[in-house]
Amino acid sequence: MFSGKPMKPTFKSYLPPIQTNVKETIEPPIKKLEPKLLPGEIVVNEVNFVRKCISTESGQDDLWGKLICTNFKVSFIPQDAPPKQMSQLSHLLLGEHDIPLTCLEQVVTVNDTRGKKKVLGSNQKLKFNPTELILYCKDLRIIRFCFDEAGPESAKKVCLAIAHYSHPADLHLLFGFEYQGRRYHESKEGRANGSTTRRGLQTPIFDRPSDWDREIKRTGASEWRVCSVNENYAISQSLPEYCIVPVSLADQDLKRHSVYFTDNRIPLWCWNHPNGSALVRMASIYDPAQQKKIEQKVFTAITKSHPHRSDVFRYELDKNLPNIQEIQSAFVKVRQICVIDPFEESEERWLSSIENSRWLEHVRAVLKQSAEIVYCLDGKNASVILQEEEDRDLNCVVSSLVQLMLDPHYRSLIGFQSLVQKEWVMAGHRFLDRCSHLKKNYKEESPLFMLFLDCVWQMMNQYPAAFEFTEAYLIVLSDSMWIPLFSTFLFNSPKQRAQHLMDFAKNKAIPHGEDQIVYFPPVWDWSQQFSNKNQTLFNNPMYVGKGATCVQNGEVKTFRRTKQKTYSSTLRGTPASLRNGLKGGEDTQPRRGSLVSELRPDFSPVKDESPSERFFRDWFSQPVDQQGLLIPLLMPSHVVLWRLFFLRWVPEACIPKGGIATAYHKLSQLVDEIEILQNQLRQYKGPSPDTTPLPSPSGPPLEQRRMYFKASSPNDPPTPPDFLNSSFPFTPVGNLCRRTIYGTPISKFLNGARIWLSTETLANDTV
Amino acid sequence: MEKSGSVDSLGSKRSSSRQPSVDSLSSTSTSRSDRSAQAKPPSAMSSDSVSTSAEFSPELRVKPKTQASKVLRDSDKEEPQLLPNETVQDMAQDVTYFCPFTGPLRGTVTVTNYRLFFKCMEREPAFVLDLPLGVVSRVEKIGSASSRGDVSYGLVCKDMRNLRFAHKQMEDTLRKSIFEVLIKYAFPVSNGLQIFAFEYGQVFPENGWKVYEAASEYKRQGIPNESWRLTKINDHYEMCDTYPSTLAVPVNIPDEEVKRVAAFRAKGRIPVLSWIHPESQATVTRCSQPMVGVNGKRSKEDEKYLQAIMDANAQSHKLFIFDARPSVNAAANKMKGGGYESEDAYQNAELVFLDIHNIHVMRESLRKLKDVVYPNIEDSHWLSNLESTHWLEHIKLILAGALRIADKVESGKTSVVVHCSDGWDRTAQLTSLAMLMLDSYYRTIRGFEVLLEKEWLSFGHRFQLRIGHGDKNHTDADRSPVFIQFIDCVWQLTRQFPAAFEFNEYFLVTILDHLYSCLFGTFLCNSEQQRLKEEIPKRSVSLWSYINSQLEEFTNPLYVNYSNHVLFPVVSLRHLELWVGYYIRWNPRMRPQEPVHQRYKELLAKRAELQKRVDELQREMTNRSASSSSERAGSPTRSITPVQTFV
Repeated sequence: MFSGKPMKPTFKSYLPPIQTNVKETIEPPIKKLEPKLLPGEIVVNEVNFVRKCISTESGQDDLWGKLICTNFKVSFIPQDAPPKQMSQLSHLLLGEHDIPLTCLEQVVTVNDTRGKKKVLGSNQKLKFNPTELILYCKDLRIIRFCFDEAGPESAKKVCLAIAHYSHPADLHLLFGFEYQGRRYHESKEGRANGSTTRRGLQTPIFDRPSDWDREIKRTGASEWRVCSVNENYAISQSLPEYCIVPVSLADQDLKRHSVYFTDNRIPLWCWNHPNGSALVRMASIYDPAQQKKIEQKVFTAITKSHPHRSDVFRYELDKNLPNIQEIQSAFVKVRQICVIDPFEESEERWLSSIENSRWLEHVRAVLKQSAEIVYCLDGKNASVILQEEEDRDLNCVVSSLVQLMLDPHYRSLIGFQSLVQKEWVMAGHRFLDRCSHLKKNYKEESPLFMLFLDCVWQMMNQYPAAFEFTEAYLIVLSDSMWIPLFSTFLFNSPKQRAQHLMDFAKNKAIPHGEDQIVYFPPVWDWSQQFSNKNQTLFNNPMYVGKGATCVQNGEVKTFRRTKQKTYSSTLRGTPASLRNGLKGGEDTQPRRGSLVSELRPDFSPVKDESPSERFFRDWFSQPVDQQGLLIPLLMPSHVVLWRLFFLRWVPEACIPKGGIATAYHKLSQLVDEIEILQNQLRQYKGPSPDTTPLPSPSGPPLEQRRMYFKASSPNDPPTPPDFLNSSFPFTPVGNLCRRTIYGTPISKFLNGARIWLSTETLANDTV
Repeated sequence: MEKSGSVDSLGSKRSSSRQPSVDSLSSTSTSRSDRSAQAKPPSAMSSDSVSTSAEFSPELRVKPKTQASKVLRDSDKEEPQLLPNETVQDMAQDVTYFCPFTGPLRGTVTVTNYRLFFKCMEREPAFVLDLPLGVVSRVEKIGSASSRGDVSYGLVCKDMRNLRFAHKQMEDTLRKSIFEVLIKYAFPVSNGLQIFAFEYGQVFPENGWKVYEAASEYKRQGIPNESWRLTKINDHYEMCDTYPSTLAVPVNIPDEEVKRVAAFRAKGRIPVLSWIHPESQATVTRCSQPMVGVNGKRSKEDEKYLQAIMDANAQSHKLFIFDARPSVNAAANKMKGGGYESEDAYQNAELVFLDIHNIHVMRESLRKLKDVVYPNIEDSHWLSNLESTHWLEHIKLILAGALRIADKVESGKTSVVVHCSDGWDRTAQLTSLAMLMLDSYYRTIRGFEVLLEKEWLSFGHRFQLRIGHGDKNHTDADRSPVFIQFIDCVWQLTRQFPAAFEFNEYFLVTILDHLYSCLFGTFLCNSEQQRLKEEIPKRSVSLWSYINSQLEEFTNPLYVNYSNHVLFPVVSLRHLELWVGYYIRWNPRMRPQEPVHQRYKELLAKRAELQKRVDELQREMTNRSASSSSERAGSPTRSITPVQTFV
């Protein structure tokens, strides 16, 4: 037999980098509309002559094509492929009109003539032929298809198939298992002797002792040790196999104590402050008789691990924060206001509606709680225990936010990913239940991870130079929750992951001992989803951090934390000019008042001030160290709606040629210029002039450039490019089509110029 | 466990440790002082005053380079450094200032003919309150002699704050309280005194009075052209005393007919050209309401005139008349002889009402807003409280109106006529905002100054009446925050288009601060005619002199000059937000900074530095390769620059 070599290209075409696919779309459309299928993907049902609605106001932009339901996605293949939108974030595994089945929130069928509407679940019957299908997506898109010209029976079948397959009954039915199995074997041929490397994945997964050990060393937690008492999930179903415990607690003690905790979850170390204080999370003890005793032992052990033997403070998050149902209900409301309600209708009482959803209130409450814990760790030099019934929801949110505020490492991209891995994935956050990947269970569904991402965004909004990544990254990460191809968000616990992946490996004949990360990769391998170019959208041009370079006394050097413990508040006295490495620090000075002198903010002591108030006042009276402790401002007016996330699909809310993207554009170009210059400098200083010829000054190779927008050139257009709008890098086109509301009173049109504007402009275009 | 609420008490970020008091600012503004120093006369000393006056202002102080020791001494003093011709009128010790944020403070109050200055030395650093008297709207004596014998005074300010002071009852009953002195100088107009702007004689390198010249701005727009001419009909303000002397009218309407049009328009404010589209020739014209009255009076001349405006634009056979008012209000105006154009009388014209409320509604809305944001924001119900003020809704309606005008002109290539009742409040808001959207020139610093000079000052927005400079009559029904609303709208635009404006937020705040301060002559009087009569340019300094002398302070580093960029903002509450940097700036918990801009400036500096180094190296390389190609020994890189390692 010949080797499989000739087959390779076809396999390869489904895999990153999918340059070949891009070419295919440019080629003249083939009359036969073929879906692009991933390995293992099969077409379940399809219907022709479907109209995809593009804009709410008129049907003239609508696309005609074929609607397909596969075992992975809902796909729409337009008859005449419209010109591809420039610079919009394109996905390597999903087309512009594709929706993964796991992303579907609700499948609604409508029969306009008979005035009927039905929300379809799995295994349901439909008594009418649908004229319209509306898909409400978990990433907040609303996609509408019309069947006015389609065969009624096949339309109905497709609708039923979509409804059925979008809520599978069992985890192993999720398409990721099929896909990754195929992908593993297909790509294996490309790999050298089936190596088990993690493919350069830099994000620690925390599935082996070395990852934890490195965290201990990094944070200087010398009185803590890696414990393998849960190896093979011997004591707890939801804890990772390895975790960190006080050195004074022996494995025997831990085993003994574990039985009293919910799901045998012994307390987990999260992080150590340079001052020796530790952040620990723990489930509650259900036996009241034992509670005091066990707690005492745990507390004593934590105290012993503190260099100053200081007290341990406990925060009961169940009591202090909203519960998961309240969080879910707030999210449902805010989503209703932002995307589902007709634009003009929600405009009327926008502010109070947002307030009534309570989403921002919850965001603020969580941030506030986290800031208080930061005070305890940093200001009081005391260790903290976060306690929650199960230790798997609010503890994840708060522990990761506290670490984000205290430790700049977690504000780098890799650091942030390791934080999610450590405090969410490995700590056993029930992603499967909270995301509701399978059949709906309303009691368990809750957007805790979204709440966390929103809190991160609020911090980012207040400290735009402190994070290595952008808000687009946060959104792409949240969207990835709804793509069932990566191991990160599919499971409820590390054990469930291990078990399923083991069974999966067995079924798919993956050799024993192969690394899970290789055969079922986590979301952190972004090359699976995005081209290198698109991944540069994750890079924040403003970042002041380890990766960012700075100029000091004419010397260009990479920023490096000068001391291990820079993030201690005790070092906040360093002048700002030394922090970001900019000479003079001219710009960090407060604004010199206008001739009308301003009331200078006063940081002098306030009467009846509590120690924590004093701590915060002290902190805010100092210049911000982007690589130090960060505390969010939390007046009600400081916590605002995350517009890009909630409004990115809303066409009426899209600012043409405006929005923060225009600033991002300019900033990226400048940083790109800086990087070109730095590269030139490096070349000049090159290894040795003896071996290399005179360097020819040029920029770094294109694939190494970190910025999405490259340095400007004189041929740049005189107007800002069209793709620069407030939804960038996403596009509202065709992604949010509410049903047209007839009979809107004229007064509403007068209030909102947008509706008026679009019809007006349209009318002019047609003349 | 700590009680919650502590995070809320977060102070603002601004570093007071590095700026212990106003005085120490001087150490950081050396370069600026040096630059402006040559242009300025030596500081005027007022020998008769109690203090040793030194010229003062954070920005403009003349400070010899060698005065570091003096600066130190200054910071210990209890009185302010004074501006040219500023004189101390009274001083009082042991005055308590009830700071709403940090509690009562005891210190010294100085009142000059320009400011109130409070300094509390008990704090480290010293607490300073420095308030131009122009911002004081009213002074109330709160409760007379209490048991402790304290007299208390409340100052209501035009810039969104209220201040309360108290001092001991004067033993000498004949002696006036310092606040009685303050009243005198806070309301100079009511007390027969001169506004401070007429005394302040600062000289700047730039002369702001030359920023706007009507003829050259019309010339920039291509006027006169075949359809529009400049007329001298109002040269001496005889046709309309609230209009400028230079007006642009349709070519084919002779001055005699223009006069008859004036008779039909309220206050003689005829439709005149504000802006013309450089390509389509569609125009934005402004006027006051027609004097239709209950009987539906018509004017042939007025009808012909509007027809001429329409005909001047060959692209469209329609004319849009935007009446800024709600239709009910427009109809009610008929009772007073006014009204609106009927579509029967004006053929091819379409009348649209923009539903913007009158000055009284706006005043009330801002008053409510002040209640919500000052001194403290309630912990809950922030958004619904904000909603109940309707402030953002008004902002939305104004922007929506301007957007419709801009869209009609840009996309519809149709000329528009804009008016309200008198055409000096809402009309000014609408035309200037539409022009800002349409013409990128107005988005530069100088262009924006021209826009204000033209659409607001020369066309007679009644600043004196709306702001009440130096007038104690705070209940005057003519007061209204029309101009503040406009600046707020501009700020909203800068938020939606962060790279489209040459100026920054600080520029807008500075304009509003000096709207009240009475330091500059720019916003004095109600019309061009009055300003001419009062010889404002001769007797006072223009705000633009000050601003244009230090442009970099007001420049937005993210600005990209896209010349053909018409702004279509999203006029929705989803994108409109409260301008916290202005309305809530007195709250120390606000963070007054522009981090993005700041970071951009840092990056610019870095690029310059790198470019310099690359250039140096390039030169060195060229030199070396030219001088000797054989001498390759040694490490050339080491000789390039002394490496200073930074720890």
